[in-house]
Amino acid sequence: MPVETKGTGRREDGLFLPDLCTPSAVLAVVLIAELVALVLALAAHPGNTAFWDSLARISLFLLWCALLSAALLCVLRPRLAALEAGRASAAAMAVVLAVVAAVSVGAWWMGRWWEGLPPLLASPAVQGLSGFVLTNVIIAAIVTGLTLRYFWVADQWRRNVQAEARARIDALQARIRPHFLFNSMNTIAALTRAEPRLAEEAVEDLADLFRASLADAGTMLSLKEELELCRVYQRIEQHRLGDRLSVDWQISELPMRARVPALSLQPLMENAIYHGVEPSTGGGTVSVEGRYDPEAGTIHLTVENPLPAGRPPGQREGNRMALENLRQRFALAWGEQAGVSASAEGDRYRVTLHFPATEEAP
Amino acid sequence: MRVLVVDDEAPARDRLAGLVSDLADHEAVGEAASGEEALELAQRLQPDLVLMDIRMPGMGGLEAARHLAALSRPPAVIFVTAYDTFAMEAFEAQAVGYLMKPVRRERLARALRHAARPTRPQLAALATADPDSRPVRSRIAARLGDALHLIPVDTVYYFQADQKYVTVRHAGGSDLIDEALKDLADEFRDTFVRVHRNALVALAHVEALTTDPQGRLQVRIRDVDELLGVSRRHAAEVRRRIQKT
Repeated sequence: MPVETKGTGRREDGLFLPDLCTPSAVLAVVLIAELVALVLALAAHPGNTAFWDSLARISLFLLWCALLSAALLCVLRPRLAALEAGRASAAAMAVVLAVVAAVSVGAWWMGRWWEGLPPLLASPAVQGLSGFVLTNVIIAAIVTGLTLRYFWVADQWRRNVQAEARARIDALQARIRPHFLFNSMNTIAALTRAEPRLAEEAVEDLADLFRASLADAGTMLSLKEELELCRVYQRIEQHRLGDRLSVDWQISELPMRARVPALSLQPLMENAIYHGVEPSTGGGTVSVEGRYDPEAGTIHLTVENPLPAGRPPGQREGNRMALENLRQRFALAWGEQAGVSASAEGDRYRVTLHFPATEEAP
Repeated sequence: MRVLVVDDEAPARDRLAGLVSDLADHEAVGEAASGEEALELAQRLQPDLVLMDIRMPGMGGLEAARHLAALSRPPAVIFVTAYDTFAMEAFEAQAVGYLMKPVRRERLARALRHAARPTRPQLAALATADPDSRPVRSRIAARLGDALHLIPVDTVYYFQADQKYVTVRHAGGSDLIDEALKDLADEFRDTFVRVHRNALVALAHVEALTTDPQGRLQVRIRDVDELLGVSRRHAAEVRRRIQKT
């Protein structure tokens, strides 16, 4: 039932029912009523001339029921939204059944007074009032029940899709490892004693890094800003690892105004340090190399780290996830034009990003 | 109480040593930057307690603690970790003392008061619980008087048990260790094979299988003169493992 059209028929109040106050919803309600009328008329008079008469009368009856119900539900919506799903369904069902019962009583009396009017659904003259109302209420209960169930399932599905999307964004943003967070806190605690000025700087650096990681997913930075974040990250790790960590920057070729998704190079540095430098007794050098091809307009950024003996970092869960995240974000920003590749050569592990040099956000 | 601080990061070491020295009756007697250094200092300085970082390059804290347990007077150990999902559960389960970085002054004081020597089974269980550290030691600790002699496992030719001790025959000679052959067999099951009720042989060092004049199966080990007898019970398994390598 096409009630939810382009999100216009929905208010974000948490109720699973579509907003029945909108024109598109009203149109849908009319359509539903007509479909039910068609089913009932076909069932009562399959293929004879009384069919059209019957359809017209049933339609009249059902439109009254449907539109009155929709109007009431529209008015009552704020109250229903305050209830939990089960109670809201029961209340909505009660409203519809009450309307159907009331309209049935009206129709029955009208059939009695107005002798010339042909019987409505079945023949009210033969049927007693209570039988007539009961039949209609049962039919209404079944149809309303199915409809409510449909709305509920559709709403659940929509919520799942949204929750999944949110979980993805959260995962993308939780790129800074807890390992790094707690080690940094520990370093700051140590520096606070020995070198308060460095501690202050480390807190500022950490704040910059977290601000960037909390920015909206999809935020683009200039290469200059992204490289600055990497330097900030390096500074924090340097306090901790001292001489064990050195970083070789070869980035003079790069067009610094080109745009990249925020925190695309930093996680690569983090992986390089975590897998390549920290586990090795003598430490190691991470090299960051940028190449720019002005003709093709593409940028290649490579982060390389030594492979400590006996540990294949490319297979590590954290590393794989970080690369997968990057791939998704690059695909989102540039589609096929960008990519992420990783390879181990001898005792070096290397990740390369390539993407078009664009100065405006793509 | 004399405390040895072990952490690969200098600021972390300095801070812990400072916190320890701030406490009355406690003294940080040394700082080590790796598991190897920790073992060396522990023997030289004879600390009462070691504050041991878990994640260090080279020999990690869990392995270092297992070697410390082989000392004649092993120190108590409190593990220190920044963030390990496995850690809290495993340490609680084994009732082994641990601290989370950044370490709080009061927590440190309390941990020092309750410090205890972790037992070998506790340490072995911790090593298995850590997904990032291999539960298999890279070295075997042999005690020579008060000194600890670390034998790299890949230089070991075989382990042989007699009544009380296990003899480790390795590239640098042979030593006695105080461990059960069964535990060694479990720990090194990927690299060693049991050839007899009382012997484990390193697959990497096996040269050939031979039979003596009486028709008994024997294993010849590279760089080792004597041959080791293979018992009938283990023959099939030994053949299979040797063919695979």
